[in-house]
Amino acid sequence: MPSASALRIQIENALERRFPSALTPQPRTIRETSSTGIPEVDQLLDGGLPVGAISEITGPVSSGRTSLALAFLAQRTSEDRVCAWIDASDSFDSESAAANGVALKQLLWVRCKNPLPGPQSSARPNFSRLDFPRPDLSRPDFSCLAQALRATDLLLQAGGFAALVLDLGSTAPEHAAKVPLATWFRFRQAADRTRCSLLVLAQEPLAQSSAAVVLECAPLTAQSANQTVLSGCSYQVRTGRQSSPTKTLSIAGRRKPPSVEWSAASASQREASA
Amino acid sequence: MSPNLYACAHAEEFPAQALLRMRTDLTSQPVAILDGRPPLETVCSLNRLARLKGAALGMTRLEAESIPGLHLLARSLETEAAARAVFLECAAHFSPRIESVNHETTCACVLDITGTERLFGPPELLAQRLRDALASSSLRASVAVSTNFHAACMKAATTRGITVIPLGHEAVALSRLSLAALNLPTDHAETFAIWGIRTLAELAALPESDLVARLGPQARDWRNLARGVLPHTFQPIEAGFSLQEFCAFETPVEQIDSLLFIGARMIDCLATRAATHALSLASLAVQMQLEGGHAYQRTIRPALATIDRKFLLKLLQLEIAAHPPQSAVLSLTLSAQAGQSSKVQLGLFAPQTPEPSRLDVTIARLRAIAGEDRVGSPVLEDSHRPGSFRMESFAIANSSSTYKPVESSSALPRMALRRIRPPAPVRVQLNALKPAAFRDREQSFKVSAAYGPWRTSGCWWSTEAWNREEWDVLAESSNGASVACLLVHNCTRNRWQLEAFYD
Repeated sequence: MPSASALRIQIENALERRFPSALTPQPRTIRETSSTGIPEVDQLLDGGLPVGAISEITGPVSSGRTSLALAFLAQRTSEDRVCAWIDASDSFDSESAAANGVALKQLLWVRCKNPLPGPQSSARPNFSRLDFPRPDLSRPDFSCLAQALRATDLLLQAGGFAALVLDLGSTAPEHAAKVPLATWFRFRQAADRTRCSLLVLAQEPLAQSSAAVVLECAPLTAQSANQTVLSGCSYQVRTGRQSSPTKTLSIAGRRKPPSVEWSAASASQREASA
Repeated sequence: MSPNLYACAHAEEFPAQALLRMRTDLTSQPVAILDGRPPLETVCSLNRLARLKGAALGMTRLEAESIPGLHLLARSLETEAAARAVFLECAAHFSPRIESVNHETTCACVLDITGTERLFGPPELLAQRLRDALASSSLRASVAVSTNFHAACMKAATTRGITVIPLGHEAVALSRLSLAALNLPTDHAETFAIWGIRTLAELAALPESDLVARLGPQARDWRNLARGVLPHTFQPIEAGFSLQEFCAFETPVEQIDSLLFIGARMIDCLATRAATHALSLASLAVQMQLEGGHAYQRTIRPALATIDRKFLLKLLQLEIAAHPPQSAVLSLTLSAQAGQSSKVQLGLFAPQTPEPSRLDVTIARLRAIAGEDRVGSPVLEDSHRPGSFRMESFAIANSSSTYKPVESSSALPRMALRRIRPPAPVRVQLNALKPAAFRDREQSFKVSAAYGPWRTSGCWWSTEAWNREEWDVLAESSNGASVACLLVHNCTRNRWQLEAFYD
């Protein structure tokens, strides 16, 4: 009677043309991770956010997405690495970043500008005589979203950045969803090649299968001190998608993704504790 | 003691050579240079092809224009000055003692090459290397070597290629030269012509005492010149090292491609000159003279000094594209500041950082996309004004000087703000002096909790004064979403604004 391994080899040989290595489990790639700086989230992600991959942090406004991203950047910049924040809606607050421990000197901030012609546009000099290439601000492809995607592309291709945050948190989901999947696929390839963690802050998942991790954030409660001071907020984070989880999920786990709660303090509490 | 040895490098038709040095597209074309006030311009210099076409010195513009295929350019003294600097710089590689003997349309210098045989070999080899060095800078020159200063000058001015005059053979070497080589005054030149003296050999053969008796004491010098024995006190100049290139256009340039075509050639020359001194280009200043009398000036500062031509050209292109000139360009000047060649010591365990030169190009591209002042590192201002910051150019700091955050990793994260720039005006409904509801342009919010007010004010002495009340507000929007936001009441203008969301 043939042994199980012999049978396996026999079956695999028979199916080799259609299904190569049909019965041999694929070797698992253990991806390098980097701590987010929040122990609860690190525990949820088995170590932190993946390096060289796309991670999406999704949720509505006031769900703790930005705080989570800043905590991650604080960890990366504390290791003497350089990071970048691509700000599609110009909403980055440098004071919050500094308070969270981000080394601002090691942070490149790209503030995408509003393409809508403002009152300053009339003051622009007249270039009609010159044939220099310059962006046509009236064109829709130079919107903030397009600028942010272009900047992300450039920074990923340049290499050397430990983390890039593509902040689409204030971009309408219907606009962000128009980003073609090929773009995310290209970003994934570039992030993998340059060992860069690309964090996408958005209201809804965008990168689909190109994202290694999708974190869904939600607000829980706000804490106050003596009903006079907002002392902090607690948030819930759950994994919406994780391409290579190290733990095998149970049946119950598949029905309900694991989630954790974490808290962030307000400025007043930090000052009081200091 | 060995006699002094001089090498004279002589570049004729220098106005044409200086202009064609930057205009590589015209090097194979007949070109004549016009000088003078319009419309009385005359040809002051021309290249060999123009001569073959029938052009000659002194032609008027009308006569020159009648020659088909002849390119006419206006003389540019700035371009010639830049080319002369390059000429002297090339010569300075062979000797520190140089005397300039420029004339109206020629560029010439004499090098004291005494004792340089062990460095550069015999005089023939040195002359060849000097000529090659000039040719690499697109300057064509003849070189003559002699123990007599004036003999070297006259031979280089009248003979093409390389000539080495052996010691004691100066008179023979100069014998066939025309008297014009002495640049005699017109009346004396006519006297010699009446006497039938046409060559230097004929002048050298005249008796000195009789010559002085008829033409004066200066005739002794002419005779000594013709014999190649006139002594000379060498007056060396300081060969300055300034990295500057200039090009004036005959017609105003409106195309960036045309500008970059010249710019590429200039960068190439600057990088080559810096490399010969074992230096790199630390910064590049771009100056343009524009139509209408305007001036344009920008400075490119790469993160590391470099001589990478493609990289510098890309930075130049992005800089001009980001800051296009207001009108057409009449002339272009590139001035570079030399710096030490960059050396980066990489560490095996050091974290990966962007490559500086590539990062420069990336940031320049980002600035072209987002705007000049919208790419960089944020720096917090030393002010109590909420949200005040300034942008600084992003540079990779050394690990030793890197700012280390005070907070430890175990500290609790802080609620981050997402700013709304500019703040959105809102209508606020108050209840017991606290916000109870507010409405922006899109939706309305019902306040569930409001913490405040936090009053701040400052700069009351200036126009940038602020006086405001901040409220941390927990609210529920009309579509059921809970938000935490920062409402600000501008006490000066009595206006409410939604300034940020906690996120």
